[in-house]
Amino acid sequence: MKTRIYSLLLFLVCGVTTAHAQTTNYQVYALFVINIAKYSAWPTQSGDLHVTVLGKSKTYDELMKHEGKNVNGHILKVTQVDNAADIGQPEIIYLADGKSSALDDVLRATQGKAVMIISEREGLFKKGAGFSFVVMDNSTLRFDINNTELEKRQIKVSKNLTALANTMM
Amino acid sequence: MLKPYRNILFLSVLLSFPLFSYSQDLDSLMNLNAFTEESDLQKILNKNVSVSTQNLTTRETPGILSVVTSEEIQNSGARDLTDVLRLIPGFDVAQDNQFVMGLSVRGNWANEGKVLVLIDGQPMNELLYQTVAMGNRFPVDGIERIEIIRGPGSAIYGGSAEYGVINIITKAADSLNGVAVTGTGGFHANAVGRTNGTIMAAQKFEKAAWDLTVFQGNGIVSDGKYQDLYQEQDVQNLAKKTEADPTTVNLGVRVGNLHFRTMFDNFSTSDPTTFTKTKGYFGDLSYNLKLSEKVTLTPELRYFYQRPWQIVPRTEENQDDAFKARAVRLQGQLSGTYTISRKVSMVFGGLYFHDRGTDELGIGLFGDDQKIDLENYAFFAQGLFKHRLANATVGFRYEKNNRYGAAFVPRLALTKKIENFHFKLLYSQAFRAPSIQNINLALNGKVKPERSDVVEVELGYQFTPEMLLSVNVFSITTKNVLIYHLDNSVNPFVEWYENDRKSGTQGVEVVYSIRKKGWYATATYSFNQAISSNTVATYTVPGHDNQYVGMPVHKATINANFYITPKLSIAPSFIFATARYAYNHTAIGDEDIDGDGEPDAVASLGKLDPYVLANAFLNYRDALPGLTVGVGAYDIFNARPAIPQAYNGDYAPIPGRSREYVVKLSYQLNFKKK
Repeated sequence: MKTRIYSLLLFLVCGVTTAHAQTTNYQVYALFVINIAKYSAWPTQSGDLHVTVLGKSKTYDELMKHEGKNVNGHILKVTQVDNAADIGQPEIIYLADGKSSALDDVLRATQGKAVMIISEREGLFKKGAGFSFVVMDNSTLRFDINNTELEKRQIKVSKNLTALANTMM
Repeated sequence: MLKPYRNILFLSVLLSFPLFSYSQDLDSLMNLNAFTEESDLQKILNKNVSVSTQNLTTRETPGILSVVTSEEIQNSGARDLTDVLRLIPGFDVAQDNQFVMGLSVRGNWANEGKVLVLIDGQPMNELLYQTVAMGNRFPVDGIERIEIIRGPGSAIYGGSAEYGVINIITKAADSLNGVAVTGTGGFHANAVGRTNGTIMAAQKFEKAAWDLTVFQGNGIVSDGKYQDLYQEQDVQNLAKKTEADPTTVNLGVRVGNLHFRTMFDNFSTSDPTTFTKTKGYFGDLSYNLKLSEKVTLTPELRYFYQRPWQIVPRTEENQDDAFKARAVRLQGQLSGTYTISRKVSMVFGGLYFHDRGTDELGIGLFGDDQKIDLENYAFFAQGLFKHRLANATVGFRYEKNNRYGAAFVPRLALTKKIENFHFKLLYSQAFRAPSIQNINLALNGKVKPERSDVVEVELGYQFTPEMLLSVNVFSITTKNVLIYHLDNSVNPFVEWYENDRKSGTQGVEVVYSIRKKGWYATATYSFNQAISSNTVATYTVPGHDNQYVGMPVHKATINANFYITPKLSIAPSFIFATARYAYNHTAIGDEDIDGDGEPDAVASLGKLDPYVLANAFLNYRDALPGLTVGVGAYDIFNARPAIPQAYNGDYAPIPGRSREYVVKLSYQLNFKKK
């Protein structure tokens, strides 16, 4: 009997990678990223709006659907990299949940530069990310803002946007 | 209430366009859900359950949980609460004394103080023995939702929740804003099985509300023929020799943060020789005091006045009460919630109660004083820490009684839903507080609280938005098991309670739920086996050490419903259980009990065959505006599974009811919203 139970549990665990149900809506995450960009201003921005996704996230797939579109007069360009060393100097770095531990590397690589870091994982705004997402108890998506960090990087964020933050520091 | 859903629906539609506008109004961003749209099944699963006490969903509550909705109850045509609970994995019904039926949980007899039943937050366990009689008792048609913890709940709910908690929320107290009337008729081939009626009324205002449920019924325990175990009487026709007559009045009033609820409950049942009546009133007054955004305190006063298990012989020559005792409890409680942050919260509380049992016949039931007094105080606290990897729950309860001493039980849980997957790792200690009669009849005047160690692991996976599979394994080890003993060899007979060393079960439960647009189904399987170190002789089945008396090892259920049209539905259900063993005959034993020089007959165990209960119910909503009509049949194949005693108590199994045709009518008139 025990063998049968373990087999069933193993089947359940193995099935995790293959199914679809009520899951994270990355379309909404992408929508937030675009609107954050729309209501923010970089000191030396000209030409394209570069967004680099560091790590694997379905938000990248959703952002790719909008590549080439105009966001506040800038053409959206989206790239994805797996290593912090390859991030370059985009306007926005989207830190995928699985790469949260690379935040320190990203901060070092972009120190003093006008690069906005948006973290998928909650709470990283306290550790230097400009924005971090937070899922509220009613399942709505919100964001926290580290305005001190954004000001250091000379990135201005519209008051209309900061007014909607769950927490701001 | 609908408005947020309309907004979400609108935004969902908006998002479904490939060229949706990303320059969306900022304010509308704030309403966007971080998860994909909920299916009908997920709307049920994602609803916070009140039994969790800390606003967690079914899949994250630190307990193995089943939730039954009013839609499922109405569609299934359940005749009583037993029909609903038999579809829950691990739950079954067995017989206590005098044909009073009670619950078994996960292969353990649980009627006496091991399952807490709450109706609108009020405990229904009587105070003398802590039992809850089942059968044709509670107004099943007036139920909005049942939340069932299939595991221990002592840390929060105290000493009657050792194996489980059944939290019933009535329609009147919850969703009803109007008047509703329901009627149920159950008909066997040669007898009327039941005639029950419920009237509900409720009005909800912004700052006040009231609700009232009145339930009255008449029924029988069975329509079978009964031969008593020792064949001392003729075969009895139970359709003429048994009753199961309930009356319940449940009134709630809320004014601002002040809540008042009172209930009158009277249940009269019988076997061929004895009436057993349980009557009780209670009142509950509480006030939700919101000290700040983070802190809420609730002082609460409760008063219980009961006369449980009143025994009256049903012979013509003697109708004097054989047992009549009063139990009164006065309880004061202060509980609270403290939301330290979005990630950390706690519930806590302390309570004191005084129980008094009084012998109303003056026959020395409680000694020369004719009364017994117990004093009890308890403290409990439970913290919830939400982390991205897991929600951690840590809690405890400390309880001290002037007669049986102290009990301390901790509780630890890790739960989390991660995308489609969820897990629960649970460890609880639980206890059963000795009741008035446990203490009064304690061997040598001493009895200890039962203590259980329970480990549970649940894994669940949602394959599509419409289906969920969850599997859990459990291990229950109960020590100091409180066991009733009876010695009929002396006159008058002697009865007592004493702690036996160990009992418990291990097993697995599987629940598969699917909910599509036009139909839904839930299939369950449960397996439980007795622990090898069991020492309780009255539960033991010699030669079948893996199961206890009256309990099946395997049970499987299917409960489905198909909407033929939006108004017309048909709900088939099936319950399969493997063989049980019961004291169903006598054999000549070794002892000369009556002193006549010959060995006497003693109760002996026999096998009850596996059974399949097949039921079907046809429901037609809004036949006229507000009128719902249902017809169905229970036990279509006439399998008539007997209800055995869960121990050796000198009662033969109650013969199962025959096929019962059920007719239900309900009418609801909603008040206009102001």
